[in-house]
Amino acid sequence: MRTVRREYSVCIALSLILFALAIFAPSFYQPTPFLSFLARQAPALIVTCGAALIIIARQIDISVGSQLAVCSVCAGLLSTANWPAGLVLLAAIALGATLGSINGFFVAGLRLPSIVVTLATMVTWREALRWKRQGAFVNLPQGAQWFGLSQTQGQLTIIVVALAVLAGLALLTRHLAAGRFIYATGSDVEAARLAGIRPQLVTFSLFVVMGALSGLAAVLNNAQSPQVDPKAGTGLELKAIAAVVVGGVAISGGRGHLWGVFVGFLLMACVSPALVYLHIEAYWERAIAGAIILLAVLGDGLGSVQKTTTSGSLASGETVTSR
Amino acid sequence: MGTTSNVSSWKALLLKHETLLFIIVVLEWFFFAAIGRRFGTLENSYDILRHSTEIGLLALALTPIILTGGIDLSVGSLLGLCAILFGKLWRDAHFPIWWAAIVTLAIGAVAGGMNAWFISRVRLPPLIVTLGTFSLFRGLAEAITHGVDTFTDFPGSFLRLGQGQWLGLPAQAPAFLLVAAAIWVMVHFTVLGRSWRAIGFAPEGARYAGIPVERRIASVYVIAGIIAGLAAVLYTARLGQAKADAGTGYELFAITAVVLGGTSIFGGVGSVPGTLLGVAAIAVLSNGLVHARQPREVAGMLTGQLLLVSLAASVLAKRIALHYKSRNANQPDSFS
Repeated sequence: MRTVRREYSVCIALSLILFALAIFAPSFYQPTPFLSFLARQAPALIVTCGAALIIIARQIDISVGSQLAVCSVCAGLLSTANWPAGLVLLAAIALGATLGSINGFFVAGLRLPSIVVTLATMVTWREALRWKRQGAFVNLPQGAQWFGLSQTQGQLTIIVVALAVLAGLALLTRHLAAGRFIYATGSDVEAARLAGIRPQLVTFSLFVVMGALSGLAAVLNNAQSPQVDPKAGTGLELKAIAAVVVGGVAISGGRGHLWGVFVGFLLMACVSPALVYLHIEAYWERAIAGAIILLAVLGDGLGSVQKTTTSGSLASGETVTSR
Repeated sequence: MGTTSNVSSWKALLLKHETLLFIIVVLEWFFFAAIGRRFGTLENSYDILRHSTEIGLLALALTPIILTGGIDLSVGSLLGLCAILFGKLWRDAHFPIWWAAIVTLAIGAVAGGMNAWFISRVRLPPLIVTLGTFSLFRGLAEAITHGVDTFTDFPGSFLRLGQGQWLGLPAQAPAFLLVAAAIWVMVHFTVLGRSWRAIGFAPEGARYAGIPVERRIASVYVIAGIIAGLAAVLYTARLGQAKADAGTGYELFAITAVVLGGTSIFGGVGSVPGTLLGVAAIAVLSNGLVHARQPREVAGMLTGQLLLVSLAASVLAKRIALHYKSRNANQPDSFS
């Protein structure tokens, strides 16, 4: 019930921003800038979808930004070695899945807390990349940008791929047994186990999927510029988690769905262009993003405190729930 | 299983962990002293202390928080915001420098109080709240300075706090040691510390035991805010400038140090000496690698791996102990 309400309020906020942009800065909706805005957000959307699944399963992954950077640079290097685009895509996804499986091994296999494991891998990959590359950009060959298509076609392809991933995962989590396993694992590991689900396998697979998605996102990211920035994806993990939380997924797992995450993602993504087009200093972006996160969860929190005033484990990372 | 045996095995584990960590630090020390010519000198030890003060302070601030089962991602951003406001107070509001420093601590307390309010009053998950304030504090610092304004030309008497010496020690050492001692006493020898631990171990149990859980949880975030304010002042004094990006990424190093020090991320288990050893392990490693002419990135990489390996080792040890215990008690292993 409450999740639905959260999505409504996020929807309203999003429409307000879009409406304000339509009135004060209609140029935002001109096809060229609008398309490139959407295309630039597409990789982050894919990563956000993965992060949503992980959070629904009551884990967290803060290494996605580093994974994306490693995959981007490796994919870029393969492109310069004249690998065909399809193979580069597969290689990037495979590499991402491998990096994800390392997280999965520590979290599901050794049962270490995911926030610590992914903190460690985040630092490790990022520093390893800096060490190996010394911050050098990878110059992509001529034809690699936009997959050899025209800019508009390339942007459309990227947007369609991202939306397809979103739709696919949204339907999967809603209608397939595998998707319900994610919710079961996130709600109650022990109950899931008793119901015949192998929660550790679910967790492991999710980290692998997360890695594969960041590999895919890396390729889509590379396709948009003539160079690969080794600092790509810095701060992406927090952006993704913020969008997931604003979209109504409970950080304590087992609740929320991907359409809500999509709306939350769009809201967070619109902050920066809204500032630019409404002539507010861009330096406010992070402050406003932070305020949106706090406001979004504040409504939830105040509502539930009124409902249940006594119970609840408040330190262990759970909101008091009576939903 | 009995709680006493459980507690004593935890204690033994903790002891083992800290001993292990201490040995790691000593080994690091001898290793780098052997290969780096300037590493073993006294000046270099002071250098290590000087450069690890801010991260050490944040790690000390995070220890009680993680002990209660919480987390604070915002300390690095708060350091940045406090540094900016400190510069602003001194340069633009013409506060006397020491007065500005004290007000900065108060600002830290207010910002920490904001986290505390969201977490203990509104009962939101600490991860989400501090993710929000992580962005908010850094964003405010950027907005106030328009991303470019830098505060410099602080008076020499103030800079001596970060760059000078005091009784032969680096000048920030007394402040650091004072905070370390205060947190140590609070965590290990006071009712307050016991209740933090109890809350981290079992929040519901702590409530039924009559501990004012909300106020106790609020206290750790306010303390963290004050310490972040202090770290901001020392940071400014050490570098001689305050910028909006001050302390970026420090929260991750601080959390790494705390977890490396044996504090459980789930709360209830941990110690201040462990945290100090964790800070030392990271600081010696990164300084030693610089002296061994290794690139700075290698230190970051090894820190990440050290964290993973030490955690995996402690979990495996616990698992093996549990396994033997359950076999002795003739019970099936409860892990799937």
